[in-house]
Amino acid sequence: MGLPNVSGDFSSEMDVDAFRRLFPLRFYERHLVESIRPDARPLGRARDTTLALGAVTSTDGSALAKIGLTTMLAAIKMEVMTPSIETPDEGCIAIDFHMPPICSPLVRPGRPAEAEPVVSKQLCDTILSSGMINMKELSLISGKAAWMAYLDIYCLDADGALFDAALLSAVAAFSHLQIPVVSMNDDGRVVIISEEHQEGKDPVNKEKRKLTLSSIPFSLTSILHKKYILADPTAEEESIMDTLVTVVLDSSGRLVSLYKPGGTVLAYTSAIQDCIALTRQRVKELRNILDEAVSGMEVD
Amino acid sequence: MEYVSPEGLRLDGRRPMEMRQIRGEIGAVAKADGSAVFEMGNTKVIAAVYGPREVQNRSQQMNDQALVRCEYSMANFSTGDRMRKPKGDRRSTEISLVIRQTMEACILTHLLPRSQIDIFVQVLQADGGTRSACINAATLALADAGIPMRDLVTSCSAGYLNSTALLDLNYVEDSAGGPDVTVGFLPKLDKVTLLQMDAKLPLDIFENVMQLATEGCKAVANYIREILLENTKQLESRRGL
Repeated sequence: MGLPNVSGDFSSEMDVDAFRRLFPLRFYERHLVESIRPDARPLGRARDTTLALGAVTSTDGSALAKIGLTTMLAAIKMEVMTPSIETPDEGCIAIDFHMPPICSPLVRPGRPAEAEPVVSKQLCDTILSSGMINMKELSLISGKAAWMAYLDIYCLDADGALFDAALLSAVAAFSHLQIPVVSMNDDGRVVIISEEHQEGKDPVNKEKRKLTLSSIPFSLTSILHKKYILADPTAEEESIMDTLVTVVLDSSGRLVSLYKPGGTVLAYTSAIQDCIALTRQRVKELRNILDEAVSGMEVD
Repeated sequence: MEYVSPEGLRLDGRRPMEMRQIRGEIGAVAKADGSAVFEMGNTKVIAAVYGPREVQNRSQQMNDQALVRCEYSMANFSTGDRMRKPKGDRRSTEISLVIRQTMEACILTHLLPRSQIDIFVQVLQADGGTRSACINAATLALADAGIPMRDLVTSCSAGYLNSTALLDLNYVEDSAGGPDVTVGFLPKLDKVTLLQMDAKLPLDIFENVMQLATEGCKAVANYIREILLENTKQLESRRGL
Protein backbone atom coordinates (compact mmCIF):
# COMPACT_ATOMS: atom_id res chain seq x y z
CA MET A 1 0.00 0.00 0.00
CA GLY A 2 2.90 2.35 -0.54
CA LEU A 3 4.58 2.29 2.88
CA PRO A 4 8.35 1.72 2.83
CA ASN A 5 9.59 -1.72 3.84
CA VAL A 6 11.18 -1.36 7.25
CA SER A 7 13.52 -4.29 7.77
CA GLY A 8 11.04 -6.84 6.53
CA ASP A 9 7.40 -5.92 6.16
CA PHE A 10 5.59 -8.83 7.76
CA SER A 11 2.12 -7.61 7.01
CA SER A 12 1.70 -9.66 3.87
CA GLU A 13 2.75 -12.87 5.60
CA MET A 14 0.86 -12.45 8.83
CA ASP A 15 -2.74 -12.65 10.04
CA VAL A 16 -4.46 -9.27 10.30
CA ASP A 17 -5.26 -9.79 13.99
CA ALA A 18 -1.68 -10.69 14.80
CA PHE A 19 -0.41 -7.62 12.94
CA ARG A 20 -2.90 -5.48 14.82
CA ARG A 21 -1.61 -6.80 18.16
CA LEU A 22 2.10 -6.72 17.40
CA PHE A 23 2.42 -3.49 15.43
CA PRO A 24 -0.64 -1.44 16.46
CA LEU A 25 0.78 1.91 15.39
CA ARG A 26 1.63 0.72 11.88
CA PHE A 27 -1.76 -0.94 11.62
CA TYR A 28 -3.45 2.37 12.42
CA GLU A 29 -1.21 4.43 10.16
CA ARG A 30 -2.07 2.16 7.26
CA HIS A 31 -5.68 3.17 7.82
CA LEU A 32 -5.08 6.85 8.54
CA VAL A 33 -3.33 7.30 5.19
CA GLU A 34 -6.65 6.37 3.57
CA SER A 35 -8.49 8.75 5.96
CA ILE A 36 -10.38 5.98 7.62
CA ARG A 37 -10.21 3.99 10.87
CA PRO A 38 -10.39 0.23 11.46
CA ASP A 39 -14.05 0.43 12.44
CA ALA A 40 -14.79 2.15 9.10
CA ARG A 41 -15.39 5.58 10.60
CA PRO A 42 -14.07 8.70 8.85
CA LEU A 43 -11.58 10.57 11.04
CA GLY A 44 -13.94 13.28 12.23
CA ARG A 45 -16.96 11.17 13.05
CA ALA A 46 -18.00 10.07 16.52
CA ARG A 47 -19.49 6.65 17.30
CA ASP A 48 -23.21 5.95 17.54
CA THR A 49 -24.61 7.61 20.63
CA THR A 50 -27.77 6.62 22.51
CA LEU A 51 -29.43 8.02 25.63
CA ALA A 52 -32.03 6.40 27.86
CA LEU A 53 -33.55 8.55 30.61
CA GLY A 54 -34.96 7.10 33.80
CA ALA A 55 -32.84 3.97 33.77
CA VAL A 56 -32.90 3.58 37.58
CA THR A 57 -36.42 3.96 38.92
CA SER A 58 -35.54 4.28 42.61
CA THR A 59 -33.69 7.58 42.12
CA ASP A 60 -34.83 11.15 41.54
CA GLY A 61 -33.16 11.43 38.13
CA SER A 62 -31.10 9.01 36.09
CA ALA A 63 -29.77 8.37 32.61
CA LEU A 64 -27.84 5.70 30.72
CA ALA A 65 -25.55 7.02 27.97
CA LYS A 66 -23.74 4.90 25.39
CA ILE A 67 -21.14 6.22 22.99
CA GLY A 68 -20.18 3.22 20.86
CA LEU A 69 -19.46 0.56 23.50
CA THR A 70 -18.64 2.99 26.33
CA THR A 71 -21.55 2.88 28.78
CA MET A 72 -22.19 5.28 31.65
CA LEU A 73 -25.02 5.17 34.18
CA ALA A 74 -25.69 8.43 36.04
CA ALA A 75 -28.14 8.76 38.92
CA ILE A 76 -29.08 11.66 41.19
CA LYS A 77 -30.36 11.36 44.76
CA MET A 78 -31.62 14.43 46.58
CA GLU A 79 -31.23 15.00 50.29
CA VAL A 80 -32.21 17.93 52.47
CA MET A 81 -29.42 19.75 54.28
CA THR A 82 -28.76 23.06 56.02
CA PRO A 83 -27.13 25.55 53.68
CA SER A 84 -23.84 27.17 54.66
CA ILE A 85 -23.84 30.57 56.34
CA GLU A 86 -22.15 32.34 53.41
CA THR A 87 -24.75 31.14 50.91
CA PRO A 88 -28.06 30.73 52.73
CA ASP A 89 -30.04 30.73 49.48
CA GLU A 90 -28.14 28.11 47.58
CA GLY A 91 -28.12 24.34 47.43
CA CYS A 92 -25.18 22.13 46.62
CA ILE A 93 -24.15 19.43 44.14
CA ALA A 94 -21.73 16.58 44.87
CA ILE A 95 -20.38 14.78 41.81
CA ASP A 96 -18.71 11.38 42.01
CA PHE A 97 -17.36 9.22 39.20
CA HIS A 98 -16.74 5.52 39.74
CA MET A 99 -15.05 2.88 37.60
CA PRO A 100 -16.02 -0.48 39.08
CA PRO A 101 -13.90 -3.47 38.08
CA ILE A 102 -16.61 -4.71 35.69
CA CYS A 103 -15.88 -1.95 33.22
CA SER A 104 -12.43 -2.91 32.06
CA PRO A 105 -9.86 -5.70 32.36
CA LEU A 106 -7.31 -3.10 33.48
CA VAL A 107 -9.17 -2.09 36.64
CA ARG A 108 -8.17 -4.12 39.69
CA PRO A 109 -10.44 -4.36 42.70
CA GLY A 110 -9.14 -2.40 45.65
CA ARG A 111 -7.15 -0.04 43.49
CA PRO A 112 -9.05 2.76 41.72
CA ALA A 113 -8.32 3.14 38.02
CA GLU A 114 -5.93 5.91 37.00
CA ALA A 115 -8.60 7.64 34.99
CA GLU A 116 -11.14 7.67 37.84
CA PRO A 117 -10.08 10.69 39.92
CA VAL A 118 -9.02 12.58 36.78
CA VAL A 119 -12.42 12.27 35.09
CA SER A 120 -14.13 12.92 38.43
CA LYS A 121 -12.33 16.24 38.88
CA GLN A 122 -12.83 17.22 35.24
CA LEU A 123 -16.56 16.55 35.51
CA CYS A 124 -16.88 18.47 38.74
CA ASP A 125 -15.08 21.50 37.33
CA THR A 126 -16.94 21.46 34.03
CA ILE A 127 -20.44 21.07 35.44
CA LEU A 128 -20.02 23.64 38.21
CA SER A 129 -18.23 26.22 36.10
CA SER A 130 -20.52 25.95 33.09
CA GLY A 131 -23.34 27.49 35.10
CA MET A 132 -25.78 24.89 33.85
CA ILE A 133 -27.50 24.70 37.22
CA ASN A 134 -28.64 27.72 39.16
CA MET A 135 -27.89 26.88 42.79
CA LYS A 136 -30.65 29.19 43.97
CA GLU A 137 -33.17 26.78 42.44
CA LEU A 138 -31.99 24.19 44.91
CA SER A 139 -32.97 26.26 47.90
CA LEU A 140 -36.04 25.42 50.02
CA ILE A 141 -36.23 27.71 53.04
CA SER A 142 -33.65 30.46 53.08
CA GLY A 143 -31.03 29.81 55.73
CA LYS A 144 -32.69 26.66 57.04
CA ALA A 145 -33.09 24.02 54.34
CA ALA A 146 -31.68 23.43 50.89
CA TRP A 147 -31.18 20.51 48.54
CA MET A 148 -27.99 18.52 48.26
CA ALA A 149 -27.93 16.68 44.95
CA TYR A 150 -25.65 13.64 44.92
CA LEU A 151 -24.74 12.73 41.36
CA ASP A 152 -23.10 9.32 41.00
CA ILE A 153 -21.82 8.19 37.63
CA TYR A 154 -20.85 4.56 37.16
CA CYS A 155 -18.86 3.40 34.18
CA LEU A 156 -20.29 0.03 33.11
CA ASP A 157 -18.06 -0.45 30.06
CA ALA A 158 -14.86 1.51 29.34
CA ASP A 159 -14.07 1.76 25.65
CA GLY A 160 -12.50 5.21 25.30
CA ALA A 161 -13.88 8.77 25.52
CA LEU A 162 -14.90 8.29 29.15
CA PHE A 163 -15.25 12.00 29.89
CA ASP A 164 -17.59 12.59 26.93
CA ALA A 165 -19.93 9.77 27.89
CA ALA A 166 -19.85 10.73 31.57
CA LEU A 167 -20.68 14.38 30.85
CA LEU A 168 -23.50 13.36 28.52
CA SER A 169 -25.01 11.03 31.10
CA ALA A 170 -24.68 13.68 33.84
CA VAL A 171 -26.41 16.32 31.72
CA ALA A 172 -29.16 13.87 30.77
CA ALA A 173 -29.69 12.87 34.40
CA PHE A 174 -30.11 16.54 35.36
CA SER A 175 -32.60 16.95 32.50
CA HIS A 176 -34.57 14.02 33.88
CA LEU A 177 -34.36 15.11 37.52
CA GLN A 178 -37.62 15.79 39.33
CA ILE A 179 -37.31 17.46 42.69
CA PRO A 180 -39.37 15.54 45.26
CA VAL A 181 -42.09 17.13 47.39
CA VAL A 182 -41.17 17.98 50.97
CA SER A 183 -42.97 19.10 54.06
CA MET A 184 -42.16 20.12 57.62
CA ASN A 185 -42.52 17.37 60.14
CA ASP A 186 -43.32 17.80 63.82
CA ASP A 187 -39.72 18.42 64.89
CA GLY A 188 -39.58 21.44 62.61
CA ARG A 189 -37.33 19.55 60.19
CA VAL A 190 -37.95 19.32 56.51
CA VAL A 191 -38.48 15.75 55.29
CA ILE A 192 -39.15 14.23 51.93
CA ILE A 193 -42.67 12.84 51.76
CA SER A 194 -43.26 9.87 49.54
CA GLU A 195 -46.31 9.81 47.35
CA GLU A 196 -48.42 7.66 49.66
CA HIS A 197 -48.07 9.75 52.79
CA GLN A 198 -49.45 13.13 51.86
CA GLU A 199 -52.09 13.23 54.59
CA GLY A 200 -52.70 16.87 55.23
CA LYS A 201 -49.11 17.96 55.87
CA ASP A 202 -48.56 21.22 54.07
CA PRO A 203 -45.91 20.68 51.49
CA VAL A 204 -43.17 23.28 51.37
CA ASN A 205 -42.98 23.05 47.61
CA LYS A 206 -46.23 22.28 45.90
CA GLU A 207 -45.37 19.76 43.26
CA LYS A 208 -42.52 17.90 41.69
CA ARG A 209 -40.65 20.22 39.41
CA LYS A 210 -37.71 20.03 37.08
CA LEU A 211 -34.63 22.21 37.11
CA THR A 212 -34.18 24.85 34.43
CA LEU A 213 -30.90 24.14 32.70
CA SER A 214 -29.16 26.99 30.93
CA SER A 215 -26.05 26.66 28.75
CA ILE A 216 -25.77 22.87 28.75
CA PRO A 217 -22.16 21.73 28.19
CA PHE A 218 -21.29 19.08 25.58
CA SER A 219 -17.86 17.73 24.86
CA LEU A 220 -15.74 15.92 22.34
CA THR A 221 -12.40 14.23 22.95
CA SER A 222 -10.01 13.95 20.01
CA ILE A 223 -6.61 12.38 19.54
CA LEU A 224 -3.78 14.19 17.76
CA HIS A 225 -1.35 11.96 15.94
CA LYS A 226 1.20 13.42 13.51
CA LYS A 227 -1.01 15.49 11.25
CA TYR A 228 -4.26 13.55 11.87
CA ILE A 229 -7.07 14.40 14.23
CA LEU A 230 -9.22 11.44 15.30
CA ALA A 231 -12.52 12.31 16.94
CA ASP A 232 -14.01 10.12 19.70
CA PRO A 233 -11.27 7.53 20.25
CA THR A 234 -11.82 3.95 21.33
CA ALA A 235 -9.82 2.43 24.19
CA GLU A 236 -7.44 0.78 21.71
CA GLU A 237 -6.74 4.12 20.00
CA GLU A 238 -6.23 5.84 23.36
CA SER A 239 -3.71 3.21 24.42
CA ILE A 240 -1.44 3.57 21.39
CA MET A 241 -1.74 7.29 20.68
CA ASP A 242 -1.33 9.39 23.77
CA THR A 243 -2.17 12.99 22.91
CA LEU A 244 -5.76 13.76 23.84
CA VAL A 245 -7.58 17.06 23.54
CA THR A 246 -10.97 17.54 25.16
CA VAL A 247 -13.08 20.54 24.15
CA VAL A 248 -16.26 21.44 26.01
CA LEU A 249 -18.71 23.86 24.37
CA ASP A 250 -22.07 24.94 25.70
CA SER A 251 -25.28 24.91 23.71
CA SER A 252 -24.77 28.50 22.51
CA GLY A 253 -21.32 27.68 21.13
CA ARG A 254 -19.21 29.30 23.85
CA LEU A 255 -16.05 27.57 25.01
CA VAL A 256 -16.44 26.17 28.53
CA SER A 257 -13.26 24.15 28.84
CA LEU A 258 -10.20 23.14 26.84
CA TYR A 259 -8.07 20.32 28.19
CA LYS A 260 -4.83 19.07 26.69
CA PRO A 261 -2.85 17.24 29.36
CA GLY A 262 0.58 16.95 27.71
CA GLY A 263 1.28 14.20 25.19
CA THR A 264 4.00 13.70 22.60
CA VAL A 265 2.31 15.77 19.88
CA LEU A 266 2.70 19.52 20.25
CA ALA A 267 -0.22 21.25 18.58
CA TYR A 268 -0.29 24.45 16.59
CA THR A 269 -3.28 26.76 17.04
CA SER A 270 -4.70 25.48 13.76
CA ALA A 271 -4.96 21.95 15.16
CA ILE A 272 -6.77 23.23 18.24
CA GLN A 273 -9.13 25.23 16.06
CA ASP A 274 -9.86 22.11 14.02
CA CYS A 275 -10.70 20.26 17.23
CA ILE A 276 -13.06 23.06 18.23
CA ALA A 277 -14.75 22.92 14.82
CA LEU A 278 -15.25 19.16 15.18
CA THR A 279 -16.70 19.73 18.62
CA ARG A 280 -19.09 22.35 17.29
CA GLN A 281 -20.53 19.79 14.88
CA ARG A 282 -20.76 17.18 17.59
CA VAL A 283 -22.60 19.58 19.90
CA LYS A 284 -25.38 19.88 17.32
CA GLU A 285 -25.71 16.09 17.14
CA LEU A 286 -25.71 15.71 20.93
CA ARG A 287 -28.31 18.45 21.41
CA ASN A 288 -30.63 16.66 19.02
CA ILE A 289 -30.13 13.37 20.82
CA LEU A 290 -30.76 14.96 24.22
CA ASP A 291 -33.86 16.83 23.02
CA GLU A 292 -35.30 13.67 21.49
CA ALA A 293 -34.71 11.70 24.69
CA VAL A 294 -36.29 14.41 26.88
CA SER A 295 -39.34 14.84 24.66
CA GLY A 296 -39.68 11.06 24.50
CA MET A 297 -40.00 11.00 28.29
CA GLU A 298 -42.51 13.83 28.38
CA VAL A 299 -44.88 12.09 26.04
CA ASP A 300 -45.35 9.34 28.62
CA MET B 1 -47.97 -5.43 60.06
CA GLU B 2 -49.74 -7.81 57.75
CA TYR B 3 -47.51 -9.31 55.12
CA VAL B 4 -50.05 -11.81 53.84
CA SER B 5 -53.65 -10.63 53.52
CA PRO B 6 -56.49 -12.94 54.55
CA GLU B 7 -57.18 -13.61 50.85
CA GLY B 8 -53.63 -14.90 50.56
CA LEU B 9 -52.04 -11.97 48.72
CA ARG B 10 -48.71 -10.41 49.63
CA LEU B 11 -47.89 -6.71 49.75
CA ASP B 12 -47.06 -6.55 46.06
CA GLY B 13 -50.00 -8.68 44.99
CA ARG B 14 -48.15 -11.97 44.61
CA ARG B 15 -49.28 -15.34 45.92
CA PRO B 16 -47.05 -16.87 48.63
CA MET B 17 -45.44 -19.36 46.26
CA GLU B 18 -45.00 -16.92 43.39
CA MET B 19 -41.61 -15.59 42.36
CA ARG B 20 -41.04 -12.07 41.09
CA GLN B 21 -40.56 -11.54 37.40
CA ILE B 22 -37.06 -12.52 36.34
CA ARG B 23 -35.15 -11.28 33.31
CA GLY B 24 -31.64 -12.13 32.22
CA GLU B 25 -29.47 -10.85 29.40
CA ILE B 26 -26.04 -12.01 28.26
CA GLY B 27 -23.26 -9.82 26.93
CA ALA B 28 -24.03 -6.49 28.60
CA VAL B 29 -20.37 -5.45 29.03
CA ALA B 30 -18.47 -5.67 25.77
CA LYS B 31 -15.03 -5.37 27.36
CA ALA B 32 -15.52 -8.37 29.64
CA ASP B 33 -14.86 -11.97 28.68
CA GLY B 34 -18.34 -12.82 29.90
CA SER B 35 -21.08 -10.63 31.32
CA ALA B 36 -24.75 -10.67 32.19
CA VAL B 37 -27.52 -8.55 33.63
CA PHE B 38 -30.03 -10.29 35.90
CA GLU B 39 -33.22 -8.79 37.30
CA MET B 40 -35.48 -10.31 39.96
CA GLY B 41 -38.42 -7.92 40.32
CA ASN B 42 -36.86 -4.54 41.10
CA THR B 43 -33.47 -5.96 42.04
CA LYS B 44 -31.07 -5.37 39.16
CA VAL B 45 -27.55 -6.73 39.11
CA ILE B 46 -24.77 -6.71 36.50
CA ALA B 47 -21.99 -9.33 36.57
CA ALA B 48 -18.75 -9.39 34.59
CA VAL B 49 -16.21 -12.21 34.37
CA TYR B 50 -12.59 -11.64 33.38
CA GLY B 51 -10.61 -14.78 32.84
CA PRO B 52 -8.97 -17.10 32.66
CA ARG B 53 -6.07 -14.69 32.65
CA GLU B 54 -2.63 -14.35 34.19
CA VAL B 55 -2.55 -14.19 37.98
CA GLN B 56 -1.96 -10.59 39.05
CA ASN B 57 -0.36 -11.42 42.36
CA ARG B 58 2.32 -14.04 41.69
CA SER B 59 2.44 -15.17 45.29
CA GLN B 60 -1.18 -16.34 45.10
CA GLN B 61 -0.68 -18.42 42.00
CA MET B 62 -1.67 -22.08 42.37
CA ASN B 63 0.08 -24.63 40.21
CA ASP B 64 -2.72 -27.14 39.98
CA GLN B 65 -5.85 -25.04 39.77
CA ALA B 66 -7.26 -21.64 38.91
CA LEU B 67 -7.61 -18.81 41.44
CA VAL B 68 -11.15 -17.49 41.70
CA ARG B 69 -11.71 -13.94 42.94
CA CYS B 70 -15.00 -12.21 43.50
CA GLU B 71 -16.01 -8.68 44.40
CA TYR B 72 -19.53 -7.58 45.28
CA SER B 73 -20.31 -3.89 45.36
CA MET B 74 -23.48 -1.85 45.48
CA ALA B 75 -23.99 1.40 43.62
CA ASN B 76 -24.44 4.45 45.85
CA PHE B 77 -27.96 4.93 44.56
CA SER B 78 -29.04 1.29 44.69
CA THR B 79 -30.80 1.43 48.03
CA GLY B 80 -33.48 3.81 49.31
CA ASP B 81 -31.08 6.13 51.15
CA ARG B 82 -27.81 6.91 49.50
CA MET B 83 -25.07 4.63 50.80
CA ARG B 84 -21.88 6.16 52.11
CA LYS B 85 -19.58 3.16 51.76
CA PRO B 86 -20.66 0.85 48.97
CA LYS B 87 -17.82 -1.64 49.27
CA GLY B 88 -15.36 -2.65 51.90
CA ASP B 89 -18.07 -2.71 54.54
CA ARG B 90 -18.78 -5.95 56.35
CA ARG B 91 -21.88 -6.97 54.44
CA SER B 92 -20.21 -6.55 51.04
CA THR B 93 -17.14 -8.48 52.15
CA GLU B 94 -19.30 -11.31 53.46
CA ILE B 95 -21.37 -11.53 50.29
CA SER B 96 -18.21 -11.44 48.15
CA LEU B 97 -16.90 -14.42 50.10
CA VAL B 98 -20.20 -16.29 49.81
CA ILE B 99 -20.41 -15.79 46.05
CA ARG B 100 -16.77 -16.76 45.55
CA GLN B 101 -17.08 -19.98 47.49
CA THR B 102 -20.35 -20.88 45.80
CA MET B 103 -18.99 -20.39 42.30
CA GLU B 104 -15.61 -21.93 43.11
CA ALA B 105 -17.33 -25.15 44.06
CA CYS B 106 -18.75 -25.61 40.62
CA ILE B 107 -16.02 -24.20 38.34
CA LEU B 108 -13.66 -26.93 37.10
CA THR B 109 -10.62 -25.11 38.40
CA HIS B 110 -8.22 -27.99 37.83
CA LEU B 111 -8.63 -27.51 34.07
CA LEU B 112 -7.12 -24.01 34.23
CA PRO B 113 -4.02 -24.16 36.43
CA ARG B 114 -1.88 -21.07 37.11
CA SER B 115 -4.64 -18.73 35.98
CA GLN B 116 -7.11 -16.37 37.58
CA ILE B 117 -10.84 -16.00 37.12
CA ASP B 118 -12.34 -12.71 38.33
CA ILE B 119 -16.05 -12.39 38.98
CA PHE B 120 -17.25 -8.82 39.59
CA VAL B 121 -20.82 -8.13 40.58
CA GLN B 122 -22.35 -4.66 40.76
CA VAL B 123 -25.80 -4.06 42.22
CA LEU B 124 -27.61 -1.26 40.39
CA GLN B 125 -30.96 -1.51 42.19
CA ALA B 126 -31.55 -3.36 45.44
CA ASP B 127 -34.99 -4.60 46.46
CA GLY B 128 -34.26 -7.77 48.43
CA GLY B 129 -32.67 -10.98 47.18
CA THR B 130 -29.47 -9.30 45.97
CA ARG B 131 -27.40 -12.31 46.96
CA SER B 132 -29.52 -14.62 44.81
CA ALA B 133 -29.61 -12.25 41.86
CA CYS B 134 -25.82 -11.94 42.03
CA ILE B 135 -25.28 -15.69 41.96
CA ASN B 136 -27.67 -16.09 39.04
CA ALA B 137 -25.99 -13.26 37.14
CA ALA B 138 -22.54 -14.74 37.89
CA THR B 139 -23.64 -18.12 36.49
CA LEU B 140 -24.80 -16.51 33.25
CA ALA B 141 -21.60 -14.46 32.99
CA LEU B 142 -19.38 -17.52 33.58
CA ALA B 143 -21.29 -19.42 30.90
CA ASP B 144 -20.88 -16.46 28.53
CA ALA B 145 -17.13 -16.46 29.22
CA GLY B 146 -16.94 -20.13 28.32
CA ILE B 147 -15.49 -21.18 31.66
CA PRO B 148 -16.00 -24.93 32.27
CA MET B 149 -18.42 -25.63 35.11
CA ARG B 150 -19.85 -28.75 36.70
CA ASP B 151 -23.37 -27.39 36.53
CA LEU B 152 -25.32 -24.11 36.61
CA VAL B 153 -25.64 -22.54 40.05
CA THR B 154 -28.97 -20.91 40.71
CA SER B 155 -30.18 -19.25 43.84
CA CYS B 156 -33.42 -18.12 45.39
CA SER B 157 -34.60 -17.00 48.80
CA ALA B 158 -37.65 -17.85 50.87
CA GLY B 159 -39.06 -16.73 54.21
CA TYR B 160 -41.79 -17.35 56.75
CA LEU B 161 -44.15 -14.52 57.73
CA ASN B 162 -47.68 -14.56 59.16
CA SER B 163 -47.42 -18.37 59.37
CA THR B 164 -47.00 -18.68 55.62
CA ALA B 165 -43.93 -19.74 53.69
CA LEU B 166 -43.14 -17.02 51.13
CA LEU B 167 -40.97 -17.41 48.04
CA ASP B 168 -38.55 -14.71 46.83
CA LEU B 169 -38.76 -11.97 49.46
CA ASN B 170 -38.53 -8.34 48.48
CA TYR B 171 -36.93 -5.65 50.66
CA VAL B 172 -40.01 -4.90 52.77
CA GLU B 173 -40.63 -8.58 53.55
CA ASP B 174 -36.93 -9.14 54.18
CA SER B 175 -36.71 -6.32 56.73
CA ALA B 176 -39.78 -7.59 58.58
CA GLY B 177 -37.49 -9.50 60.93
CA GLY B 178 -38.67 -12.97 60.00
CA PRO B 179 -36.39 -15.78 58.85
CA ASP B 180 -34.73 -15.50 55.46
CA VAL B 181 -33.43 -18.70 53.87
CA THR B 182 -31.15 -18.40 50.83
CA VAL B 183 -30.42 -21.55 48.86
CA GLY B 184 -27.82 -22.06 46.13
CA PHE B 185 -28.60 -25.09 44.04
CA LEU B 186 -27.03 -27.20 41.29
CA PRO B 187 -30.08 -28.34 39.29
CA LYS B 188 -28.67 -31.22 37.21
CA LEU B 189 -26.69 -32.73 40.06
CA ASP B 190 -29.56 -32.01 42.46
CA LYS B 191 -27.20 -30.74 45.15
CA VAL B 192 -27.29 -27.77 47.48
CA THR B 193 -24.13 -25.67 47.47
CA LEU B 194 -25.21 -22.65 49.52
CA LEU B 195 -27.58 -22.56 52.48
CA GLN B 196 -27.92 -19.53 54.72
CA MET B 197 -30.54 -18.57 57.22
CA ASP B 198 -30.96 -16.02 59.96
CA ALA B 199 -33.60 -15.74 62.71
CA LYS B 200 -35.27 -18.74 64.34
CA LEU B 201 -37.42 -21.45 62.77
CA PRO B 202 -38.71 -24.77 64.05
CA LEU B 203 -37.08 -27.62 62.16
CA ASP B 204 -40.13 -28.95 60.31
CA ILE B 205 -41.09 -25.49 59.06
CA PHE B 206 -37.49 -24.94 58.04
CA GLU B 207 -37.59 -28.04 55.82
CA ASN B 208 -40.72 -26.68 54.19
CA VAL B 209 -39.22 -23.26 53.54
CA MET B 210 -35.99 -24.75 52.22
CA GLN B 211 -37.94 -26.99 49.86
CA LEU B 212 -39.80 -23.93 48.60
CA ALA B 213 -36.56 -22.07 47.94
CA THR B 214 -35.18 -25.11 46.12
CA GLU B 215 -38.22 -25.16 43.85
CA GLY B 216 -37.58 -21.48 43.14
CA CYS B 217 -33.99 -22.34 42.21
CA LYS B 218 -35.18 -24.99 39.77
CA ALA B 219 -37.51 -22.49 38.11
CA VAL B 220 -34.64 -20.00 37.75
CA ALA B 221 -32.47 -22.78 36.32
CA ASN B 222 -35.03 -23.52 33.61
CA TYR B 223 -35.13 -19.86 32.68
CA ILE B 224 -31.33 -19.58 32.60
CA ARG B 225 -31.09 -22.67 30.44
CA GLU B 226 -33.53 -21.10 27.96
CA ILE B 227 -31.48 -17.92 27.77
CA LEU B 228 -28.26 -19.84 27.18
CA LEU B 229 -29.91 -21.93 24.46
CA GLU B 230 -31.23 -18.79 22.77
CA ASN B 231 -27.79 -17.21 22.97
CA THR B 232 -26.12 -20.26 21.42
CA LYS B 233 -28.63 -20.28 18.57
CA GLN B 234 -27.82 -16.64 17.85
CA LEU B 235 -24.09 -17.34 17.88
CA GLU B 236 -24.65 -20.25 15.53
CA SER B 237 -26.60 -18.15 13.07
CA ARG B 238 -23.99 -15.37 13.22
CA ARG B 239 -21.25 -17.82 12.36
CA GLY B 240 -23.33 -19.13 9.52
CA LEU B 241 -23.77 -22.64 10.84
